[in-house]
Amino acid sequence: MTKQHANWSPYDNNGGSCVAIAGADYCVIAADTRMSTGYSILTRDYSKICKLADKCVMASSGFQADVKALQKLLAARHLIYQHQHNKQMSCPAMAQLLSNTLYYKRFFPYYSFNVVGGLDNEGKGCVYTYDAVGSYERVGYSSQGSGSTLIMPFLDNQLKSPSPLLLPAQDAVTPLSEAEAVDLVKTCFASATERDIYTGDKLEIVVLNKDGICREYMELRKD
Amino acid sequence: MANSAIDVPPRGGFSFDLCRRNEMLTKKGVNPPSFRKTGTTIVGLIFQDGVILGADTRATEGPIVCDKNCEKIHYMAPNIYCCGAGTAADTEAVTDMVSSQLQLHRYHTGRESRVVTALTLLKKHLFNYQGYVQAALVLGGVDCTGPHLHTIYPHGSTDTLPFATMGSGSLAAMAIFESKYKEGLTRDEGIQLVVEAICSGIFNDLGSGSNVDVCVITKGHKEYLRNHLLPNPRTFVSSKGYSFAKKTEVLLTKITPLKEKVEVIEGGDAMEE
Amino acid sequence: MDLKIEDVNAPHSMGTTIIGLTYNGGVVLAADSRTSTGVYVANRASDKITQLTDNVYVCRSGSAADSQIVSDYVRYFLHQHTIELGQPATVKVAANLVRLLSYNNKSMLQTGLIVGGWDKYEGGKIYGVPLGGTIIEQPFAIGGSGSSYLYGFFDQVWREGMTQEEAEQLAVKAVSLAIARDGASGGVVRTVTINSEGVTRKFYPGDKLPLWHEELEPQNSLLDILNVASPMNI
Repeated sequence: MTKQHANWSPYDNNGGSCVAIAGADYCVIAADTRMSTGYSILTRDYSKICKLADKCVMASSGFQADVKALQKLLAARHLIYQHQHNKQMSCPAMAQLLSNTLYYKRFFPYYSFNVVGGLDNEGKGCVYTYDAVGSYERVGYSSQGSGSTLIMPFLDNQLKSPSPLLLPAQDAVTPLSEAEAVDLVKTCFASATERDIYTGDKLEIVVLNKDGICREYMELRKD
Repeated sequence: MANSAIDVPPRGGFSFDLCRRNEMLTKKGVNPPSFRKTGTTIVGLIFQDGVILGADTRATEGPIVCDKNCEKIHYMAPNIYCCGAGTAADTEAVTDMVSSQLQLHRYHTGRESRVVTALTLLKKHLFNYQGYVQAALVLGGVDCTGPHLHTIYPHGSTDTLPFATMGSGSLAAMAIFESKYKEGLTRDEGIQLVVEAICSGIFNDLGSGSNVDVCVITKGHKEYLRNHLLPNPRTFVSSKGYSFAKKTEVLLTKITPLKEKVEVIEGGDAMEE
Repeated sequence: MDLKIEDVNAPHSMGTTIIGLTYNGGVVLAADSRTSTGVYVANRASDKITQLTDNVYVCRSGSAADSQIVSDYVRYFLHQHTIELGQPATVKVAANLVRLLSYNNKSMLQTGLIVGGWDKYEGGKIYGVPLGGTIIEQPFAIGGSGSSYLYGFFDQVWREGMTQEEAEQLAVKAVSLAIARDGASGGVVRTVTINSEGVTRKFYPGDKLPLWHEELEPQNSLLDILNVASPMNI
């Protein structure tokens, strides 16, 4: 019974992985549904994906209590925006709002690692990737969370994005079709689950396109 | 020794100087290299004609699975096996060392090894290293005095039990044993219970996973059921597969042979026999 | 409070209640059966009363590994001693060996032991060998974390010249009292009685022990309570 409460921390890591891929006219956002702490599974059915606006969703891993607080704050800010402007926030605007919200807590950060996916004003797929304090970037694809170290190199290999330094600026979206992108995401998670203990149970895939939002599930390993 | 005025020659025995140093370094924030830990579920039980041991097959290094199908039931003697949890290197080394000592002991005495002999050798080694050899073991076997099951903790304490669990999944597995174990199980009931306990560890403990290994030891006979159950198949394989572009550029195919720096002179005097 | 991995990996300690007492003609040793690592009960039916020779036993408390190694060594030396002497070792010799090891290695050991037994020279004897390796001959000795609940009790009820029956009853009562109050003690009560006749071991299951202030009736399983069809149904 030595020093049990001596080093209490306001943070926990609940694990989980998130992936988002942007296409020419679609966006795929996926995350597993396992929530864990230490060596224990808290639940096998927890959605890490949150709809922020009609054409904007966020997938978050890290500390789910902070994630929940962040989601509620964004929802409130979005409601105010709707009252003031009488329209839904665009995905790029929401991406900027998220960055500001994260940086606002620069010295007591939200322990959340987010990817935002959606469609921009031209209907093109867009993905934004963040760190915990609000640094963000628009990319063609991204991965966050405990399995990101396994998934990101695979995506780099399959979808090598053009350098952001190239001139004239290249389009960041991937050349895949929507079905191919969904298949790629499934492979990412099936593989990450094999080697990352915090990823597993079930995969939740959200696809945004001109027809709206659709959701799909796939079983993953449960060990 | 460091602060004595004269250099005293070592008197033999174990030195824990480095352990103290490492502890101090950890306190100052220097992290030691990580080991391959078998965050494990291992179990054993006594049934009507012998002992059954079980283990999962996942080995982890932090949050990463480094072996999806490793063997955690180690051979000690033809009639004794031992499940290991903790640092993989330690469980492997300590069981290998003791199994070789047992083999020599069998050559010397010409008799079957006893489980208590293995137990004493293991606990002696672990106690000497004061818990720094991180091996938590479930030892089981059948000898001339009947079936035996023991648990051995890294500090060298031992327990003798009708059913035992160890490793990070020990609580999940013990929950199954505590609710369902009874005396005089048949072979099939025993295997069934061991498999259920291991599965409880596999599914509820993140340190344990993949497949179930079982080892059944009875008088004069044993059965090692490697991968007795495979409850975690891959859930998705892309129908078209993936291609990986070869992007590494070949710079040169010409091989320049190494220059000989030493000249070899043929002839000279032959060496004397 | 949740259970941490560190708890399972922590060194085993026997947060214990152990008792040794003399009576008219011999000694009674008694102990609970709980071995814990942190908040996890690693063994709920352990035997903390270990045999040293035919006529001497020891109650172990503190670190499980340390107390086992000490009693293993003492048993080994006593067997050797018995062979060299050609007659059973006395309790005093056994207790002094325990003391020797405990005292010489005091910086390495976290264990308190109670040695008890019977020999033809001095009859039933109890020796306490607490943490630092001192040795105390006592009419009764108590040890382990549960003992703090028992000092007053023993001061009141112990008297010289009890019968074997009285002594055994007292030992079981004392351990069950300590189990009721001490979270680190629990399980069953084991006793060992040693006198000129030999050794008798007794076992008192946890659900057959007397109930003390505000203790609940023993239940086989939580399921038995939940399955009682009636008031729970809303």
